[in-house]
Amino acid sequence: MKKFLVLLLVLALCSCAFGAEQAKLTTTAQLKTERLAAQRGTVGQYIAEDLLGDNKGTLLTTYEKYVDAIASLRQGKVRAVVMDEMPAKRFLAEVEGLAIMDEALSEENYAIGFRKGNTELVAEVNKALAEMKADGTLDAIFAKYLTGDYTAVKPETIDFNKGAKGGKLFVGTEAGFAPYELKVGSSYIGIDVEMCAVIAKKLGKELVIENMNFDALPMAVSTNKVDMICAGITVTDERKENMDFSENYVVGAKQVAVVRADDYEK
Amino acid sequence: MTMRNKQTGAGRGDIVLGIFALFLLYALYSSGFFTAAAWQDFNRRFYQNFVKDSRYMMLVDGLKATIFMTSGATLIGLAVGLVLSVIRVAHKGGAHIPVLNAMAETYITVLRGTPAMVQLLIWNFTIFASARDLNTQYIAILAFGLNSGAYIAEIFRGGIESIDPGQMEAARSLGLSYGTSMKLIVLPQALRNIIPMLFNEFIALLKETSVAGYIGIDDLTRAGQNIQALTLEHSQPLVMVAIIYLVIVMCLTRFVRKLEEWLHRGRRG
Repeated sequence: MKKFLVLLLVLALCSCAFGAEQAKLTTTAQLKTERLAAQRGTVGQYIAEDLLGDNKGTLLTTYEKYVDAIASLRQGKVRAVVMDEMPAKRFLAEVEGLAIMDEALSEENYAIGFRKGNTELVAEVNKALAEMKADGTLDAIFAKYLTGDYTAVKPETIDFNKGAKGGKLFVGTEAGFAPYELKVGSSYIGIDVEMCAVIAKKLGKELVIENMNFDALPMAVSTNKVDMICAGITVTDERKENMDFSENYVVGAKQVAVVRADDYEK
Repeated sequence: MTMRNKQTGAGRGDIVLGIFALFLLYALYSSGFFTAAAWQDFNRRFYQNFVKDSRYMMLVDGLKATIFMTSGATLIGLAVGLVLSVIRVAHKGGAHIPVLNAMAETYITVLRGTPAMVQLLIWNFTIFASARDLNTQYIAILAFGLNSGAYIAEIFRGGIESIDPGQMEAARSLGLSYGTSMKLIVLPQALRNIIPMLFNEFIALLKETSVAGYIGIDDLTRAGQNIQALTLEHSQPLVMVAIIYLVIVMCLTRFVRKLEEWLHRGRRG
């Protein structure tokens, strides 16, 4: 036991003494040879993999939750986290010592995902989405969450259309992606949640949210566990092979690199 | 297991606890916790994580789910384990049931040989793929219960086999039937070893249910993660979750120890 403690102490001292000074980050091109983190199964992971190329096996760490990825960034285990701009901005507002690199890594579109071949539901949802875009419902939802303190939004104010005669609409999501979805108390808030609530109402169904890990969502929708998945999901060609998508409801969502403020020089 | 050294047994737990407390204090000290500013910051974050909007209720609900799943799974595990162990012990005791015995053995091998989390995912996403109106917690109870059944079967069997075969032989030679000797001679003694181990299985199961978040159940662990996502704070929710688990497990462990002493009262070590 004693020897073990001494060993630990020596190791800790060594890591302090030999922590070499690194050049600060200035451009995203530098990230190609750095340790990166992303949330598992997200587009952030795919972008990081593309950046790192053959080194992804050793340099990329994927986490189940964004909070874990950001924690490892703050602890210096990785130099950048690749993620969506909106949740990234929220981290900057709440957590000290973070910065977003100016240069975006890519721009993505969000859509709702369906089981491959579920064309009927895709058509119904697309119709509902088109109506919401036309009458300004969608814009109103975005405005509600993009300006002002959305953590103050009460889940009771969202109409899940309980007891609807048309049955239930099961929607899979990962409630750790503010401002799109968040769990508050025993219910949910967020842009996606409110949007799905309106869609469910238009379909005459009750909205049931299934809160899962992000990387379990494609499995859940393809095995019919849920009717659709709505979690700020980026449309990619690879994903299109395994599921169907609705029309985009977000266009040009930026993927950014979150770094430590003291490690970044514009 | 049963021959616990009472003198060191009680003391060791306290030493471990003491070392743990020292580590905790040191960690707090080295992170600058004992300054006024840090204390204020801690309080502010504590308020954010647990007090504001009654967020502690998320942990309470999570704990309810954890206890519900663990209790349900233990009940299923007991039933399955009992059936399996009866088959295996009876087979060894001379009943001619090779097929049943082989089935029981296969069951135990497969369910003990694969991780509980993989089984949980298979139950939820493959076997019960189309059962959508079913509360996911029931699927978890089934998955954890059937998994636990394999372990409990081995606990029962081990308990029965730990009794000297001479006891059974003596009972049989006095003219008692196999069933009666089992019921009156072997099982009462075996239970003394089995009951504490069942509680240990319960404790193990309690911790095992922490992977239920994977199929969308907001158990205690997941509740902590949900608070993390709300406040974007990493450490406090997790440490709180750990403390809750620890307190429950320590209470149960203490209870098991007392129970063991009580079961072995008046018995020469």
